[in-house]
Order: sequence, then structure tokens, then C-alpha cells
Amino acid sequence: MAVTELKNNNAPGLDTGRVVRHKLVDRLYHWIMAGSVFALMGSAFLPIFGIKFEWLTIHWIAGVVLAVCVLIHIVRAVIFQDRMSMVVTPTDVKNGVRIVKRAMGQDAPAPVKPGKYNALQKLYHLGVAFFILSVIGTGLAMLTKIDTPFWKRNPYWLGDSDWGYIYAIHGFAAMFMVSMVLIHIYFALRPDEWHLLRSMFRGWISGKEYKAHHDPSRWPAETKK
Amino acid sequence: MELFRYSRSLYGGDANIIGASWDLFGWFVAAAAAFIVVHAALKFLTGKRNQEAH
Repeated sequence: MAVTELKNNNAPGLDTGRVVRHKLVDRLYHWIMAGSVFALMGSAFLPIFGIKFEWLTIHWIAGVVLAVCVLIHIVRAVIFQDRMSMVVTPTDVKNGVRIVKRAMGQDAPAPVKPGKYNALQKLYHLGVAFFILSVIGTGLAMLTKIDTPFWKRNPYWLGDSDWGYIYAIHGFAAMFMVSMVLIHIYFALRPDEWHLLRSMFRGWISGKEYKAHHDPSRWPAETKK
Repeated sequence: MELFRYSRSLYGGDANIIGASWDLFGWFVAAAAAFIVVHAALKFLTGKRNQEAH
């Protein structure tokens, strides 16, 4: 399939064409991450609420899958992708102030269109990154307490009170992730965000959606026929 | 309501933190629900206002 980067975003064809939003590798990352997060939450919280099953094996394997996914994502984002597209900029802050003022009925200029991601998406990503790295860091430490086919457990690596803090951080970060996932699902299901949900399945948004929701100078289009 | 789970010593020694309190789970779900309701309400009201302006 032909994929071309267009520097001129008024190029003919953008009205009818498609703009690449998520490449296959990024969509795979997203859905494998989603699957592992749901497996982790189910295996963590269902037994706590009385649904008993052999949860530990599911939990540590899903945790290792998540850790590997996140490691690959970090390398890919830092080296091969536009990492600035996820950084909150002064324009985002200015936009946020305008949106809040307008929501409160005050006079304010209309917010400018975002690049690939808007401020709320960037803040969400920052929050998820913090909580995911917290659960992964503490989860990897907790792996030393269980036997797996790859290593033998060493429960004496840390003292009891240190393990208590590790478990507490893991638990709080996991509960914050529950909140974040619920909010994420809400945004994905909102009708005004359906083009983004579709792009996470099929990879593209339409040229019209691109023009309606994004500033081409902040996110140059990569189109495909 | 406690923030942490503690191990209780039978002999009256110090209690150690053993993790976050699972009683808080409902609060995290409620916080997400509150965010969703407030966002949906704001979107609805601003959308209505924009429609009236046009």
C-alpha cells in the first residue's frame, strides 16, 4: 500500500484520502498492552473480591508481557517516532485556559487545533506512563518472590517493611490504573472520538477528519491511498 | 477507612505496612465516574451553547 509523507497539506486528495495515524506496530502494541492490562487487573482484583482461581501465574506472565511491550514502546518512541508530539507545549496550556474559560461562559478566543495529540491526551499519557512504570518497577521486584521456569525465588532480598512499601506502591498504582482505564474507555466510546477509535483498529483517519481536528503545521500528514 | 493494610503482631509488636488497602478500590472507581460525569456534562453544556450561538 502506497504511503507518502505530504509536506503540503493542502495537496489534492487529502479531502478524499486517508491519513495514517497509527502504524500496524503501534496498534499491535496498544492492543497487546490492553490485553495484558485487563489480564493483570482481572487476576489481581477478582480474587480480592471473592472470585477465587489460580491467579498468580496469569498475573506474572501478563506483567512480563506488559513490561516487554512498554520497553519496546519506549525505545520506539524515543528513537523512531516524533517524541515531541506527546510533550505538553505552551500552546497546549494556552488552549486549556481558553477551553476552561469558554466552558465557564467567559469570553475567550477559540482554541487552536492540536497536532497529533491534544493536551488532555498528552496529560493522560503522562499519567498512564507514571502509573504503568510504577506497577512494572514494583512488579519486577516482586518477581523475585516467586518461582518461575526462569529463576528461583529469593524472598529475603528485602526486609519485611521494604516489601510492604513495594506492595503498597504496586497496589495504589494498580488502583489508579483502574481509574485511568475507565476514563480511557469513556473517551474511546464518545461519538466525537469514534474516528480515533477506528484509527486504533484500522490505522487511519479520513482527510476530512484530519482537517477538522488537527493543525497540519503541528502534525504533517502521512497519507495513504 | 485506612490507606494501608497492616500486619498485626500477636505479641503486641509494631504493625508493618503490607500493602495498599483494598477498601479504597471503590473510591478509585468513583473518582473515574465523577470525572466522566463532569466531562460529559461540560461537553453537553458547551455543545448546546455553541449550537445556540450559531
